[in-house]
Amino acid sequence: MPTKRHAASTTSATPSTPTTPTPKPLSSGPATLKTNASAAEIAQHVWQQYATTTPQRTLLLDAFMAFLVLVGGLQFLYCVLAGNYPFNAFLSGFSAAVGQFVLTASLRMQTSDSGATSKPSSKGKNARFADEQGEEQRTGYSHERAFADYIFGSLILHFFCINFIN
Amino acid sequence: MRWCLALLVCCFLAAVNALSSSGSRLLAVLEDTEQKSVYSTLWADLEARGYDVSIESPKSEQLSLFKHGERAYDHLLILPPKSKGLGPSLTPKHILDFMNKDGNILLALSGKSPTSSAVSSLLLELDIHLANDRSAVVVDHFNYDTLSAAEKHDVLVLQRPGPLRPDVKAFFDGEGVLALPRVAPQTLGSDSTLLAPVLKAPATAYSYNPKEEMPAADDILATGSQLNIVSAMQARNSARFTVLGSVEALEDKWFSASVKTPSGEKTTTVNREFAKQLTGWAFKETGVLKVNKVEHHLATEGAELNPSIYRIKNETVYNIEVSEYVFDKWVPFEVPGEDELQLEFTMLSPFHRLNLEPTSRTETGTVFSTKFITPDQHGIFSFRVNYKRPFFTNIEEKHEVTVRHFAHDEYPRSWAISGGWVWIAGLWSVIGGFLAFVVVWLYSAPVADKVKKTQ
Amino acid sequence: MHLWQATVPFCLLAAAALPGAAASAWGFTDATVAVQHKGAGVNGGFKEQLTASKPLSKPVSIIDADTLRVTLTAQEGSSPKRPHQAFLLLKDAHTGLDISYPFTVKENGKSRVELTKKDLPIQFLSLPEPVDARVVIGGLGTSDAYDSSVFQLSIDRNPELAVPTVETDRYGKKPEIHHIFKNSPSNPPIVITLAFVAMVGAAIPVLAGLWLLLGANVSHLPTAFKSAPLPHAVFLGSLVAFEGIFFLYYTSWNLFQILPAVAIVGAVAFISGSRALGEVQGRRLAGLR
Repeated sequence: MPTKRHAASTTSATPSTPTTPTPKPLSSGPATLKTNASAAEIAQHVWQQYATTTPQRTLLLDAFMAFLVLVGGLQFLYCVLAGNYPFNAFLSGFSAAVGQFVLTASLRMQTSDSGATSKPSSKGKNARFADEQGEEQRTGYSHERAFADYIFGSLILHFFCINFIN
Repeated sequence: MRWCLALLVCCFLAAVNALSSSGSRLLAVLEDTEQKSVYSTLWADLEARGYDVSIESPKSEQLSLFKHGERAYDHLLILPPKSKGLGPSLTPKHILDFMNKDGNILLALSGKSPTSSAVSSLLLELDIHLANDRSAVVVDHFNYDTLSAAEKHDVLVLQRPGPLRPDVKAFFDGEGVLALPRVAPQTLGSDSTLLAPVLKAPATAYSYNPKEEMPAADDILATGSQLNIVSAMQARNSARFTVLGSVEALEDKWFSASVKTPSGEKTTTVNREFAKQLTGWAFKETGVLKVNKVEHHLATEGAELNPSIYRIKNETVYNIEVSEYVFDKWVPFEVPGEDELQLEFTMLSPFHRLNLEPTSRTETGTVFSTKFITPDQHGIFSFRVNYKRPFFTNIEEKHEVTVRHFAHDEYPRSWAISGGWVWIAGLWSVIGGFLAFVVVWLYSAPVADKVKKTQ
Repeated sequence: MHLWQATVPFCLLAAAALPGAAASAWGFTDATVAVQHKGAGVNGGFKEQLTASKPLSKPVSIIDADTLRVTLTAQEGSSPKRPHQAFLLLKDAHTGLDISYPFTVKENGKSRVELTKKDLPIQFLSLPEPVDARVVIGGLGTSDAYDSSVFQLSIDRNPELAVPTVETDRYGKKPEIHHIFKNSPSNPPIVITLAFVAMVGAAIPVLAGLWLLLGANVSHLPTAFKSAPLPHAVFLGSLVAFEGIFFLYYTSWNLFQILPAVAIVGAVAFISGSRALGEVQGRRLAGLR
């Protein structure tokens, strides 16, 4: 562990958060939104906030989750339209999508540290480093450990779904 | 040693000669043993058919139907007593006990003298009713013997009966006429499935008490075919009880008497032949069914025989081999004309009831079989053949089997069902997406870095 | 047996037509049949003379509470006399049912019988055809008895009332039962299925496109393979092998075949995975991710 910390401290000179070029809308989010904003404005604001503040890696993860929602939704729609025979196939196909979604959401919660939890750039390098370390201490796991758990859980999910689809 | 051998041979011979399917010990109860000679042809015929006839008086001290709690005789022939009852060893209770132990009884009545109250109460137990005063006699002004009863018209001359119903085998039919002198008629209770008329009186017949000059209209209770001349009762244990209304029909002189009806020709009676049919049936020489073999298996080649478990929707074959005893041998059983031997596949109530078709014959039996698909309901089922018909001994075969559901590897695989393709595709695309995501997560460089670097 | 019984009246008719064939014969005169409707007066209803030689041409019908009355004077030869048997015999030719109603006979041969539907057995009430009503007169001795159809009796019933039936339990064959199977579930139209399969399949290119749009890449692959080639290759390979084993399980293998394979691949994946992910963590901590 000390070696890792050392490595981190050496590289912290170059902050790697994608939000650094546009710090303003992030730090003063509520301020730019007027109190009497319309629903469309709120939605647009939320979307912009999301698109600009979310790290790219998390966006990729979100894209995968969107894919899972699409696949699950199609399967559910097919079940509604064409009937649920064979029901076990429906359950396993649909729950594979849902289960994968849930697992991916867990992974996102454990790895998207710089999204909502961190207050980058404005607090400087030490703050950024301390924040990251703080998060790791809070969850007790590194991103990679979370990812290994994710793979383990996914494989079990896949086994059960394949077993159940017959 | 030689004595032993002789005994063995004797036993063997006796076994060969014993023609009834249920034993050869016949007790004939005759009040007046002097009268024995009147029925000599009957005794001779019975002995010729292998019966071991012992004739006893009901008053005899040592007469008992049971010995050490078991039946001492296999069959009982009761000729009507003149006295009030049949004595202490032949009370209705004893006779019913005898039937409960599978003994067969042929009871003859006579219209000559009033029937004893003991006999009447015995018949009442079986739902067979006699006339109230127990001394009725059947007359018919159209079917009587003009030679012997020109004045009293009480010797009926009738054809032998045909089948009771189209689906019942006729055991007593044939050519020729019967002379039935002084018949004591019986009427049968309508609720009992165990009773069956053998010979009914013709439609114009009626019964009256010959002691009265003229029958009053109110006295006549039953007429025509409601009056039975011969009736039969077969208990649930297949023990048989036969009532013959006219004992005189069994006498030597009526076995080959010449009779003439008012409108007919002078003919010779076939009482002797009928007596053979009647005693043969009553003492289980005819109408006895036996199941030799029951087999059931899957309708596939080389399937296990009589398995204890089937699956739902299995095609199953059921075979039953049935023999019928006809006087001295077992022959292949043939179902009467409109009747069917039926198989039920039951769990509480029948799920299938199917007619069994004869498929093959062995030397002594007919194999009936059917093929069916087990219901789509799992549980404990039984193959049941419950063949109860008038004049045939009962067949009740019940074989329990388990019908199980599909095992998990007996369902069609998911790709064989086109409806599931979407979900299969969904599952595998999730797996594919997962693999791609793993690669992306592991090896994707942050774009922002690049942007920054290029800047 | 039926034939035998049917020949009897024929013979008797023949005998009646030729008097003198027998010493004497039973017969009747002054015979009437009357139907008294309930509530109607004494003369209300139907009344008809009967002859011994020929039956009435039209059926006599009774319904509900009607009373059928037959009166006649029995005679032997030509002198009125009380017979031993004087019955009104109802007989159905189809079913062979028969029942007799004795006449009340006086010494001078005058006889009468009254009959309502209540007196009839239930089996007679549901017969579709009229039954044969016969008069049977006979006596002891040598005189020929009389048995001939005198009229047809139609037992009508009110169509609104249910037909009384008698349920007697008799041993016999029972109706066949064939189990009705549940319908096997049916597949939806193949077109819909294929369309959805195509849509689900198209989701993967959509994901790929989305990722490309977001700038996904595998730029770190050379870096990773440079720093830890074996763990990365083995780790990725073991993951693919896992899914491959699952696919084999799906198509042909059973559980006991995949368990050892899963155990081996799992161990390999664990060891190589911890190395590979260590490398990844190194990259992350180096700020490359």
